[in-house]
Amino acid sequence: MLRSPRAIPYLLLLPSIVVIAAVVLVPVLVSLWSSFTPYNLTRPATLFTFVGWRNYQRLFANADFWWAFGRTLVFVTVALNLELVFGLALALLVNRVTTGRKTIRTIMMFPMMFSPILVGFQFKYVFNDSVGILNNALFSLGLITRPIPWLVNGALANFSILAAEIWMSTSIFAILLLSGLLALPQDPIEAAKVDGCNPVQVFRHITLPFLMPFIYIAMTIRSLDVARAYDMVRIMTNGGPAGRTELLWTLIARVGYQNSQMGMANAMGYVSILTSIAFTFYFYRKLSLSRRYMGGAE
Amino acid sequence: MRPRFKALLLACAALAGGMSLAHAQEGYGKFDGYTLKVKLIGGTQYEKLYTRIPEWEKLTGAKVDIVSSKNHFDLDREIKQDIASGSISWCVGSNHTSFAPQYGDLYVDLKPLIPAETLADYVPATLKASEVDGRLVQLPRVTDVSNLYYNKDVYENPDIKAKYKAKFGTDLAPPKTYDEYKQQVIFLANPPNLYGTAFPGKDEGMTGRFMELVRANGGDMFDDKWNPTFNSPAGVAALQWFVDIYKAGAVPAGTVNYTWDDIGQAMAAGTLAIDLDWPGFAAFFNDQASSKIAGKVGFALAPVGSSGKRGGWSGSHSFSVTQACDNKKAAVSFITFMTNYDSEMMEARAGNLPTRTKVFADVEKEFRDKGNTYMAEMFGTWEKSLETARTPPLIPQWIEVSNVLWPQLQAAIVGQKTPKEALDKAASDAHDIMEDAGLLK
Repeated sequence: MLRSPRAIPYLLLLPSIVVIAAVVLVPVLVSLWSSFTPYNLTRPATLFTFVGWRNYQRLFANADFWWAFGRTLVFVTVALNLELVFGLALALLVNRVTTGRKTIRTIMMFPMMFSPILVGFQFKYVFNDSVGILNNALFSLGLITRPIPWLVNGALANFSILAAEIWMSTSIFAILLLSGLLALPQDPIEAAKVDGCNPVQVFRHITLPFLMPFIYIAMTIRSLDVARAYDMVRIMTNGGPAGRTELLWTLIARVGYQNSQMGMANAMGYVSILTSIAFTFYFYRKLSLSRRYMGGAE
Repeated sequence: MRPRFKALLLACAALAGGMSLAHAQEGYGKFDGYTLKVKLIGGTQYEKLYTRIPEWEKLTGAKVDIVSSKNHFDLDREIKQDIASGSISWCVGSNHTSFAPQYGDLYVDLKPLIPAETLADYVPATLKASEVDGRLVQLPRVTDVSNLYYNKDVYENPDIKAKYKAKFGTDLAPPKTYDEYKQQVIFLANPPNLYGTAFPGKDEGMTGRFMELVRANGGDMFDDKWNPTFNSPAGVAALQWFVDIYKAGAVPAGTVNYTWDDIGQAMAAGTLAIDLDWPGFAAFFNDQASSKIAGKVGFALAPVGSSGKRGGWSGSHSFSVTQACDNKKAAVSFITFMTNYDSEMMEARAGNLPTRTKVFADVEKEFRDKGNTYMAEMFGTWEKSLETARTPPLIPQWIEVSNVLWPQLQAAIVGQKTPKEALDKAASDAHDIMEDAGLLK
């Protein structure tokens, strides 16, 4: 039977299937199962106690979880949009540069080379209210007389974390969009110019539609990244003060590892994964729509 | 041949190191060719002791393989993952009195494995606090308890002293009560250049500082049936103390995000007048290379609360031996060596509080003989506060309870809730945790 020609493709795929099952499928199934148990890391036997939907029921009644959930959605939305705007502006500017473009591209990638933990420490220092360089600069310029509590006030703390996130990741957008700009055919642009289009019209009707697939790919990748934001927030505020900057993953890590309640943490993880799937689905739909548009179907 | 060699080795070591008699009695055994796998806490202040590992290897013929070296929070996570996956392939792990109750039966009871006369050399209260449910699951290497460091530039400034006396009618001296502490830090604060003090505003640090004040006010975290009681009047008064100094601007607004390092740095930068902190900072504060207040640091015992008691929060870093260890004798030999007289002297010289009674007196004398009265004074002050210090409740749920408490403490401190509202919410959540754990009596 194994020698049957029909079995050959499956036999050839078998190593990949085994590897995927071992590193993806099994952990996914075990974590899904554990979300229906009171699984506690330090009491492994609890992995075999089935409690049905109890974790999910508790979760749906947990206001702290929904605040963190909502805050994560807002955080992803704001961060993605701002990174897109800044990244696009940066890409358009770099695209105009004629000499030293490669050097600029390399410099642009610097923030991406830092570990998020280091970026967290760096921005924690920048925004520190008593010894931070930002407050010190504002004092020196005479703009403030009392220190601004950047990482304490709810709005300012979220703004500070956003600033760190945007600083680190805008260049990802810029590089992806720049690659789109470099691949942009010049003929339609020249034709449009001959027809009397101004630069804004060229950008609106030719450059941007051409870039849309790149934008959606960047959005998809980054939405998954930002929705997983943990390291930086952990270092800068650890979700505090009073939960004002709590995002899903700071909450999940605390529940799962510090409180050892891995069953509950996995239930939280599954709810957040569904959100990530929704984001991905939305961006992929937009991506295929924009590609059809590019192909002249609409 | 082998016993003779061992005796020779021990004799040499005793001669070279000036070992005490008790130490010489602690035979470390021979484990030729054995490799002991250990998971140890990493970081500069902890790793100096590990320079003694080659000595133990030489004495016993065994090798030590450090399979993991991480900060304690990462190590805790890794150990929990090991428990969950059933892969305990190592013998010795760094531990802490706050973490130990979580690990269930991961570690052995050391009492039957270590001679009583050896255990008698450790500080009795420290050893007692290392037990979980009557089992000695860890051998303590350093103890921690907090006392006051004050900046003499501020406290001995004639102008500030005169103003303080004019306002309050008493001399400015390190506070003896929490009321005085509050009064002084509010008076001394002159932001942004000088704050009265700072406190760790998140994680277990926040919970611990609150617990100290609750206990100093005569309250406690739980009653004897494990009902949370930190929302009692003593608890509300404790939280109100933090709210008051925060509202008055006596602490940096960002203190709610501070951890120990942030506070230590602020004190060393000369931006705090007084700081309730751990003994490990003493040497750092007095080091001219790292501190602006070097030579100007004073010590005082932690203040007492409204009950007239000190609520000292103590804890010990320690070593434990796993049940799954394939050579428990070697593991016990290792942890005994790493906490023996010489090891403890090494810890103490670095400014850490030792866990052996004799070392306190000896290191204090050594510092005094060398003319280092600063460190000698530190050990004297800190030893006194150990007498009344207590650990957090030694239950597996402590960190979980702490995690529902500190965000509520923060909510009250930043004015989002009243202290009573915040503590009632935390007590209700903590009650659920204790109920789920089956601890409520």
